[in-house]
Amino acid sequence: MRVLVVEDESLLRDQLADHLKAQGFAVDAAADGEEGLYYGREYEYDAAVVDLGLPKIDGIELIKTLRGEQRTFPVLVLTARGHWQDKVEGLEAGADDYVAKPFQMEEVVARLNALIRRTAGYASPVLSQGELKLDTAKKEVRVAGAAIELTAYEYKVLEYLMLNPDRVVSKSELTDHLYNQDFDRDSNVIEVFVGRLRKKLTPVDTIRTVRGQGYRFVAEPTA
Amino acid sequence: MNPSIRNRLLSTTTVVLVVFLALTGYVLDRAYQASVLSGVEEQLKLVIYAVMSVVEEESAQLVVLEGLSEPRLSQPDSGLYAQISDDLSGAIWTSASAVATDVRFSQIDSEPGAFVFSEATGRYQLIYTVIWEGLETERVNFIAATDQAPVVRSIHQFRGTLGAGFALSMVFFIVAQLAALRWGLRPLRDMAEEVEALEKGEKEQMSDTYPLELQGLAGNLDRFVEHEQRSRTRYRNALEDLAHSLKTPLAVVKNSLLELQPDKGLMGEQLERMSSTVTHQLSKASARGPVVVGKPVDISKQINRLVPALKTAYVDKGIQIELVLAETAFVRGDESDFLEIFGNLLENAFKYTATEVAVCLNVVELGSGRAAIEVFVEDNGRGIPLERRKEVLNRGKRLDEIEPGQGIGLAVVADLVELYGGRLTISDSDLGGARIRVQLPY
Repeated sequence: MRVLVVEDESLLRDQLADHLKAQGFAVDAAADGEEGLYYGREYEYDAAVVDLGLPKIDGIELIKTLRGEQRTFPVLVLTARGHWQDKVEGLEAGADDYVAKPFQMEEVVARLNALIRRTAGYASPVLSQGELKLDTAKKEVRVAGAAIELTAYEYKVLEYLMLNPDRVVSKSELTDHLYNQDFDRDSNVIEVFVGRLRKKLTPVDTIRTVRGQGYRFVAEPTA
Repeated sequence: MNPSIRNRLLSTTTVVLVVFLALTGYVLDRAYQASVLSGVEEQLKLVIYAVMSVVEEESAQLVVLEGLSEPRLSQPDSGLYAQISDDLSGAIWTSASAVATDVRFSQIDSEPGAFVFSEATGRYQLIYTVIWEGLETERVNFIAATDQAPVVRSIHQFRGTLGAGFALSMVFFIVAQLAALRWGLRPLRDMAEEVEALEKGEKEQMSDTYPLELQGLAGNLDRFVEHEQRSRTRYRNALEDLAHSLKTPLAVVKNSLLELQPDKGLMGEQLERMSSTVTHQLSKASARGPVVVGKPVDISKQINRLVPALKTAYVDKGIQIELVLAETAFVRGDESDFLEIFGNLLENAFKYTATEVAVCLNVVELGSGRAAIEVFVEDNGRGIPLERRKEVLNRGKRLDEIEPGQGIGLAVVADLVELYGGRLTISDSDLGGARIRVQLPY
């Protein structure tokens, strides 16, 4: 999951970025509204964390601008004083949730995960497709009730595909959304991950290869 | 430079007065002249009649008999003259007064039977032409004249009196005006002095001896000052409370760090406590409170802003919301205070409810003409235990003594509601959870 963090206090920004990276997110960090707007326009994100008191372009203005340009990724706002005026204005501008400072990292991660899953249309933190269940909170995958061991990257690929069901996801989209900038972008690596993932998920067979385009996660028809 | 009130009033009334006196003077002068002239004409008419009464016809000639009733016509230089003339032979008869001063009468052609008044060479003159049958020339002019000088003198005299009177009344008026201004503007001067004293801190309140027109302003100033003082006190108290209540957890954390095995759990707890203290005291200090001036805030509108925002944030829970709001419910105060009150209440409801949230707002009469808006926020969560309710609503209890949890938001709300002179009560909802009632003076 690629996440944009816009926060002007460098200590907090670094902490947030580090913590989110440790939680398996790919993170871009911006120090002011202008930079945040640039990133938001330039890249596809799965979610954004936006502080409201930003230099150059105010957080509210940033969210409004992005929303005006059809950027629909969920936005979590950080409010400095926890004042309701800020929260309401943030939500009215197009944010999806808020966390008041000082916050705990776990809180931010939980809210972000919830927002991403909500946007994909899952009501519960356990993404469920037939026999396949992925618990986003515990980062645990079960097939027909039995837990299976996945590496961090395999888990990320599966989570991303499950959050984008019935849609062709290209290899470059996967690398874009899953890996931090410093990662070696070799598409063969993705093929290897997907191959191993398929093997581990047997008998569930929901990841299809679309020749020359990428992969498609076939969702269970909801009964 | 903005002219002072005194100068504004003074210059306006002076201009008005001068224009008024000039117009009045002009009209009076005209009227006087007209009346004097008509007097002169009347007098000349009488002279003509007097002359006519002593004229007789003798063998187609006019003869003036003895016994003129106007003696001045016989005195030289008397200022009153007469002449009888016809077209053929010119002057038939001229009064002795006119002969002595060589008065020249102007023979103006006039309709027989009409008096014609004219003014020439320092005299007023009246001609009366008659047709006298049986005379050689039948048209005969009777002319009377009088000197202009006495009339002009009288007019000048009148003007002099008028001017002197006006000048006197002008002086009197300006003096009276100055006195009135001094007396009338004194409350304003007093007020300025009092405000200055307030600024310097020499006084705490405006006195209540102001005239009706200024009582409202003085009252407003008082409330404003009081509001300022209250916010300052609140601010200071919040700061003191903050400093005081941060000391203990800080000490605990510091000491814990010195131990061989720092107790992370304990430190986390203390940090959490510090964080909620900061939140609470900050909201207390930044509350504006009931404002003296400014727009009243529509509470319905604020709730209608908050509900969709919270719906977005809590969309996961699929909460059913029942909103019954009076169309308008205005309370004088600060918008962000009300957002704080109802934001916290609604957030609690959304956070702790199972499936339902109900919000109801109406305006209630409190008797004796007072009204309040009453808001119920209910949910079907687990409710708030009795001892917790007491803790939250216990006034004067500092928040660092309250356990963190659901109470924080409510304690903030309770403070704010109290600040507005309202009431907060907690009870059980028919839905199953908590029912919070807030009353705010309308």
